Amino acid sequence: MVNPILLIALPLGLAFAIPLFALFGKAAPKYIPPVALAFNLVISLLLLPKVLENPVIVSIGGWQPPFCINLVAGPVAILFSIVIALVGFLVSIYALDYIKEGATEKYHMLYLLLLTGAIGVVLTGDIFNLFVFFEILCISSYALVAYMRDKAGIESAVKYLIQGAVGSSLLLIGIGLLYGQFGTLNMADIAQNIKSVSPISVFVPMVLIITGLGVEAAIFPLNAWLPDAHSSAPSSISAILSGIVIEVGLYAVVRVIFTIFGASSILLSLALLGILTLLVGEMCAFSQNNIKRMLAYSSIGQIGLILFALAIATSYGVTGGLFQLVSHTLSKALLFLAAGYMIYQTGSLQISALEGTGKKMPLTCLAFTIGAFSLIGLPPFIGFPSKFLIVRAALATKETIFVVLIGLALLGTVIEGAYFFRVVQVLYFKGEKPNPGRKEAPIAALIPMFIFVALIVVVGVYPKLVTDVLNSAASELLNRLDYIRSVLG
Amino acid sequence: MMSFLTDYIYYIGAFGLILIGLYIILVKHNLIKVIIGLGILDTGVNLFLISVGYITKGTAPIFSRPEINSEHMVDPVPQALVLTAIVIGVAVLALALSLAIRLYQHYGTLNLSKIREQKW
Repeated sequence: MVNPILLIALPLGLAFAIPLFALFGKAAPKYIPPVALAFNLVISLLLLPKVLENPVIVSIGGWQPPFCINLVAGPVAILFSIVIALVGFLVSIYALDYIKEGATEKYHMLYLLLLTGAIGVVLTGDIFNLFVFFEILCISSYALVAYMRDKAGIESAVKYLIQGAVGSSLLLIGIGLLYGQFGTLNMADIAQNIKSVSPISVFVPMVLIITGLGVEAAIFPLNAWLPDAHSSAPSSISAILSGIVIEVGLYAVVRVIFTIFGASSILLSLALLGILTLLVGEMCAFSQNNIKRMLAYSSIGQIGLILFALAIATSYGVTGGLFQLVSHTLSKALLFLAAGYMIYQTGSLQISALEGTGKKMPLTCLAFTIGAFSLIGLPPFIGFPSKFLIVRAALATKETIFVVLIGLALLGTVIEGAYFFRVVQVLYFKGEKPNPGRKEAPIAALIPMFIFVALIVVVGVYPKLVTDVLNSAASELLNRLDYIRSVLG
Repeated sequence: MMSFLTDYIYYIGAFGLILIGLYIILVKHNLIKVIIGLGILDTGVNLFLISVGYITKGTAPIFSRPEINSEHMVDPVPQALVLTAIVIGVAVLALALSLAIRLYQHYGTLNLSKIREQKW
């Protein structure tokens, strides 16, 4: 049997070995992340069939849970680990050619550490371990936002770091309060005993933990750092920040609410918060002239939609939320990758500067257009089945409040459509001026982009490919008793 | 009143530090002061974690030495947590300070209210 611990150990080990590989030549370090992440992808896919039957529990150090730090490779963890490894692998291929300046070996090291942190967060079954992996993820992303060392990058990194550090401290206080009450850090063990104390004494740690994690998940009003950080980072990092980091933050929020606290009473307020996040994000995105800021605000909107879908807390709702999460990851990563070379060739972040790019860079612009259409939710792309599932889930609850909220969510989608169509129009139908010097993105960038395009179209046409995994992931999140039983035996 | 103070003095101190740290981060405009605030916040959280595991007149949990009474041993888990949290805090502060140096090179000031290119 493949041990899930390899998913964390190998990228972590290789990340710290990158300075050694740099001794073999300046080009050597950049090939390490694709190798490590391809390995992770293979391991995750090998684990998938086994995990769909029974979660794999790994106890570290030979102790039994709840006394050890354990890894819980359930359907949710493996779903996320596949997505992280896949997107990380494709983006690292893109970065082979895209990252030329600066201390490149540091870039590749931090990149691998960031993804190690993300995989650790989704695999761990211990709440303090979750905090540690979360910090690995956060600290590497602070540093990567500032990678270009330009004015905007440094400023947004400072802003991101201050907000992130306060969030982490709140998370740690929450963990301390939980430990004080239950004397354990194992998530399943806390979940088992959560009903034995008064609700008010778990409410305070719950709020602290959700607030702390919510900073990273960019839930309104904790998302002030996001548009700056995502727009000032190098485009490959923006793709990872938008495609993986906020999703992992959201995963942590959902895991804490569903599994640890089993808090069904706050779900309605989360659904409201989700819709609020969605509308704020989409309306801010609509008013942007800077293409990367527009994409960043659109991520906020999508996170709101995912949060809303997960907060419906029916089997359809959670499946739809996870599906939307996967679809957002693929589409937004593609959008940022395509935008990266469009910006590189035009030398400007303004949307108006992209006029006529469609004729000069047809493949990159085609990739961007497909990503945009998928995010809006047009068939036959992946965004269509995922949004459709969310609408169906909201209507199936037969509660007025959810029907009203999904109406607002669809309004958000209309706004989303408006600003994406505007960009597509600028790309193809505006500006007749010849733009000499603009050429197609290099082949190392086009290959990952078109793999994303292929995935978006294939899963969009055959959603059945992923529904099995999504359904069992949703049932893992909804059945906390099964989770507790599978960990504690 | 006095017994309340003596029983909870560590918690009072810890949350006092946490609130001071948060106040500095929210109110001050100088980046170095904000970073100092982060440091104080970290210290408060660490003190809080330690006091969760502490019992009055506690001793180190060393089972191989029979003269230490096991009833007075403190809980070692929070100490391990704090050790990790300190290391993480050091990493964050070091990164924050190095970013502060870069910020100063770019703008010639550390006053965050004057650095507004990205709409704070």
